[in-house]
Amino acid sequence: MSDLAILAVSYLGPEGFGNDQTGLRAWPAPLDEAVQHGELEPLHWSLVSASDSSRFLRMDLMCRLGLMAAELLDAGFDEMPEVQRERVAVFVETFAGSLDTDVRFLQTPRPSLFAYTLPSTVMGEICIRYRLKGPGLCLVSPNDSDGGALVEAVDWLREGDVDACLCLGCEAVDREIAAMLPEHLRPQGWHAAALLVGKSSGARREHPFTPGSLAEICRKLCFKPKRAC
Amino acid sequence: MEAAVSKTRVAIAGTGAVTAVGSGVEPLRQALRTNAGGLHARDCVVRKIGQSIIAGWVSETTLEQLRQKHPGHADSRAFLFAHAALKQSGQSMAGQLNSVPPTRRGLVLSTTKADIESLEKLVRRQPCSPATQRQIQPAFLAADLAAANQISGPVQCVSAACISGLLAIQQGATLIRRRLADLVFVVGVDLISEFVLAGFTSLKSLDPEGCRPFDKARVGLSLGEGAGVLALARRDLLSGPVVRITGWGSSNDANHLTGPSRDGAGLALAISRALTKAGKEPEAIDYINAHGTGTPYNDNMESLALQSSFGDRVPPFSSSKGLLGHTLGAAGILETIICLVAIDEQMLPGTPRLREPDAVTPKSLVHEPRPAAPSRCILKINCGFGGTNAALVLETESP
Repeated sequence: MSDLAILAVSYLGPEGFGNDQTGLRAWPAPLDEAVQHGELEPLHWSLVSASDSSRFLRMDLMCRLGLMAAELLDAGFDEMPEVQRERVAVFVETFAGSLDTDVRFLQTPRPSLFAYTLPSTVMGEICIRYRLKGPGLCLVSPNDSDGGALVEAVDWLREGDVDACLCLGCEAVDREIAAMLPEHLRPQGWHAAALLVGKSSGARREHPFTPGSLAEICRKLCFKPKRAC
Repeated sequence: MEAAVSKTRVAIAGTGAVTAVGSGVEPLRQALRTNAGGLHARDCVVRKIGQSIIAGWVSETTLEQLRQKHPGHADSRAFLFAHAALKQSGQSMAGQLNSVPPTRRGLVLSTTKADIESLEKLVRRQPCSPATQRQIQPAFLAADLAAANQISGPVQCVSAACISGLLAIQQGATLIRRRLADLVFVVGVDLISEFVLAGFTSLKSLDPEGCRPFDKARVGLSLGEGAGVLALARRDLLSGPVVRITGWGSSNDANHLTGPSRDGAGLALAISRALTKAGKEPEAIDYINAHGTGTPYNDNMESLALQSSFGDRVPPFSSSKGLLGHTLGAAGILETIICLVAIDEQMLPGTPRLREPDAVTPKSLVHEPRPAAPSRCILKINCGFGGTNAALVLETESP
């Protein structure tokens, strides 16, 4: 596995948000609460991106968190030529998937909400944002941090079918909606963990490849940044 | 953890289906021969809809037959359909793979909404058993199907809109290539529920007269429901001629969440990837089973993608959505079964409900089913929400 490396990492969770360069920063006081109420707003987007928040505001909670994690990765997709972006895969793993939005849609069906009633929609949002046209996969796992997306990424990289893979693990269910669900359908907590894995080039930001759960790897690498600021 | 990919060849060992035309692959075969299928009207009491909907409903007769045959699983239609199709696929293998132990048997589930009817009940505070509540979560539905069918090897669940089925086949083949399993049941299931009807109605995507894929006058899709199962196995465990899974590819349009790209470039990219994986040139393809939903944008985009991939020599192609409706997470699997029937019957399936093709549609669109030389190489394509596209290459192989 030595030829593969973790090229970039980001994490958002109750502990804070950040990437492997900046380290984790604590949420301003009301923000963790806001995530748990499904109320991420432009203010939250502005914590991770200087770009316009209008599209962000159209998204559901899962996509907002997933896109924030992808933005925090700071992976340099915008600078990549198109041929390179066609060789970046996006693999998602999730336990709760779109359950939060599914319940909201059942309560009030709206066309703008329907597009978000799929666990794979976050994949589409990430591809639109960074113009990534590579292969995609969305795995629904039987627990919060399965690590399945990373296993698949390694396989695809080994086969030479892609040059890099953005793996995203994302869980979020609004507290009030979670209360309506039986315990076994609720995720343990909320997080969005993103990781870019690819061939090692010896760059300074790289981390040795380690298998395991996305959330655990990302949390760990963001707790110990390479360059704290 | 390490994904050791081998060059193990993967073939299709068995099939099962529960669809609008009945339970089993035989009703599907009959429907393909006659080019007339299961779309029919049913009155729906759907909030803000409350109208008769033409769709590929699984009939009450089929449902009752399945409930009698599998009495322990009558509560959940999703589980029942998938379980019945799984049992059929086991029977279709005629004991060929009985020696494969449960630990070497895997399952990959493809679904967009799993047991969505139970979530509807839960939210409305209607009675819903704990067992079916559990199957709202797709991975638990997959685990329960595996447990009920003596499958104790790897279990995965793919949920990636309408390309879920093809991705699940890809994943099933990959589990075998990684030597994690010798036999993998790829199961696709989805229901026509109030949830799904409300969603597609709100997007104004349904054709009130029933879908007419690639037709000049098409205005939308028809939903479908049911389950399909493909049993994949190591080629060397099977005797006689087989159909192998040799290539797969997917892509993203990076353009729009609910609408396809206008130029078909994303789908063409997925096709190119699948052909490369299979080591095939475009000229090798004998037949294409298209996504062909019947929405104006999808079919137009697909026509452009086929022209881009095959130039002025687009192989014969057709859409099966007029037969079964759009079965969402089950579509890729049921339509792959249709490709297998086409190979077996030495025929090119037609495009049910087509009257007059759209001017942009390649001329090789098959209207009515017709006999054909045995297909050696077939391409199956699907597209979905989130800008997703997928392609799969099937090849016949003699021992």
